[in-house]
Amino acid sequence: MPMKGRFPIRRTLQYLSQGDVIFKSSVKVMTVNYNTAGEPSEGARKFVFFNVPQIQYKNPWVQIMLFKNMTPSPFLRFYLDTGEQVLVDVEDKNNKEITEHIKKILGKSKETLEKEEREKKKLSHPATFGPKKYHLRECMCEIEGQVPCPAVVPLPKEMRGKYKTMKKEA
Amino acid sequence: MSVPRGAVHAKWIVGKVIGTKMQKTAKVRVSRLVLDPYLLKFFNKRKTYFAHDPLQQCVVGDIVLLKALPERRSKHVKHELAEIVFKVGNVIDPITGKPCAGTRFLENLSDSENLTEADTTYLSEKLQELKVCSTEK
Repeated sequence: MPMKGRFPIRRTLQYLSQGDVIFKSSVKVMTVNYNTAGEPSEGARKFVFFNVPQIQYKNPWVQIMLFKNMTPSPFLRFYLDTGEQVLVDVEDKNNKEITEHIKKILGKSKETLEKEEREKKKLSHPATFGPKKYHLRECMCEIEGQVPCPAVVPLPKEMRGKYKTMKKEA
Repeated sequence: MSVPRGAVHAKWIVGKVIGTKMQKTAKVRVSRLVLDPYLLKFFNKRKTYFAHDPLQQCVVGDIVLLKALPERRSKHVKHELAEIVFKVGNVIDPITGKPCAGTRFLENLSDSENLTEADTTYLSEKLQELKVCSTEK
């Protein structure tokens, strides 16, 4: 049973998480003005259809507004926290070119992203174990080189308390 | 720390004015894209904000940019009008700066009436060059 819709792959988590445009923290609002008909607006239409869901998924706190058929020329407009506005003309541009352009001007660079990842990793120690939310492993039995879980593999006789007490009595 | 601005989360917002019946206050509807967890599709979710508009220059239907106030002005008003992005009935295309309506410009874009003699000769020369290049190919 296939998925419903024109390009249902747009509605998969894998596709959404493949978006590589992550805006800087100063970008608050993104406005896309495009036309529903016309050759110059074709790239903008494809951008809205394919790439805007990816961008919104990666930047949940950026307000994205779409305006149709308001002006003859298609453009993107970003409102930054400093009050600055960035106008991007997308007439006669491919949707891939549009994403590359905004990634270059307002996206977080790869170094910044890697640095943030490293900072996040530093907070949690990988060797500890505990609740799944905070640690990688829940029980000591999951760690390689440690005694396996007695629910899966029975413990040897010498480690069982029953055997130890029997030996003490005898 | 810089000026602690915004007792609200949303610092800058773009929305459409839906009501101006209050004195010096505009009711603005803001739509955000929210992901439906099952369909994995984005839908518009609307929310209304009240914005302080001291000059009462907003008309219903304007697209406006709101800025969060440093502290709440009243129980509901936490934003003020920063600028009117598109005035209803008077949309200015930001790329060309000319008034437009829908997908067409309202005024004639070409400026052939204001060309001088030198301009026309220069342009016709350029046109000749272009014609030669196309025939060469």
